[in-house]
Amino acid sequence: MSKQLKATHKKKGRQVVFSIVFLVLGFILAFSYRTVGGNHMELDETQSDLFVQEEKYREDLIEQQERNKELTDELFDKQKSVQEFEQKFSNKEENHAVLVEKAKDLRLLLGVIPAKGTGLKVTMEDADYDPSLQNPNDYIVHESHVLRVINELKIAGAQGMTINGQRVNSNSYIKCTGPVIMIDGRTFPAPFTIEAIGDPKVLSPALHLKGGVIDGLLRDNIVVTTEEVKEIKLPAIRDKA
Amino acid sequence: MWLPLLGLLLGVSLGLLSDIQIPQVYNNYLSIAILAAFDTLFGGIRAYLQQVYDDRVFVSGFFFNILLAAALAFIGVHLGVDLYLAAVFAFGVRLFQNIAVIRRILLAKWTSRKQNTGQNV
Repeated sequence: MSKQLKATHKKKGRQVVFSIVFLVLGFILAFSYRTVGGNHMELDETQSDLFVQEEKYREDLIEQQERNKELTDELFDKQKSVQEFEQKFSNKEENHAVLVEKAKDLRLLLGVIPAKGTGLKVTMEDADYDPSLQNPNDYIVHESHVLRVINELKIAGAQGMTINGQRVNSNSYIKCTGPVIMIDGRTFPAPFTIEAIGDPKVLSPALHLKGGVIDGLLRDNIVVTTEEVKEIKLPAIRDKA
Repeated sequence: MWLPLLGLLLGVSLGLLSDIQIPQVYNNYLSIAILAAFDTLFGGIRAYLQQVYDDRVFVSGFFFNILLAAALAFIGVHLGVDLYLAAVFAFGVRLFQNIAVIRRILLAKWTSRKQNTGQNV
């Protein structure tokens, strides 16, 4: 009896000892895995986290830009349809024809839709460089020259204008940035081509007045050419980037 | 029978859940302690299969080897001698030997049993 008891006791003791041994083994294994193996995983995770975030932001940006583009296209379409609607309206009600005509003029001035019509084309080029005269400023087209031409054309009744294909309206700004000029945030180099819709019979003499704009430009050594054009096509104003 | 397994599970969960952090420098000691523990474990299995197993030898060997390996690595670091490598080498060789012996014994047992059954049929 006592021998059996002793045997079971011994067996139990053995199991307890084994449990302690395995407990220590398991603890060391898990601890080592956590400290050594875990560190690497954490490092990877942070890196990949940042990467994933960056990727996500980039995708968001692209999505937004695409959406912007879609909306801009939609805006153009809407404005076009509004114009068509007004056209129909004017056909129906002669009384409002004047108002619609005015709206058309104003829209031309704002530059929100493409336009075409007869007009004048003015080209301004830098003069050939003369080495005997040191200052190259005397030979290049400055933004003030462009401004002078634009203002004169506006005064003479030009309805819509572009500078090198960039539509300008009353809110447009022209800025001197070294050898090039900046129009509404876009840079353009010489030569500058200004296209204006309006009556060429009025616009051209306005520029060619004695002592007027063109005389001034010629005095500043700028090569100016004007050309009356039957049909000028102007694009709509581009949204400022 | 289930008590040791329970101990193992408890140890693993304790190790995974505990919040103790040790500096990177001591990772070496930890790895060598693992090696020592494995060596003793397989040594115990081999001894059991060879019928020379003894509780006291196994248990004392288990803890003593772990401590000795860690201590050796510690002393080695402080003396500028890579005793750590010596421990890795020694335990590694013994680990392989133990496993090889276990494999052979098991293979021999398996073939003898097969022969026995073959004779029976």
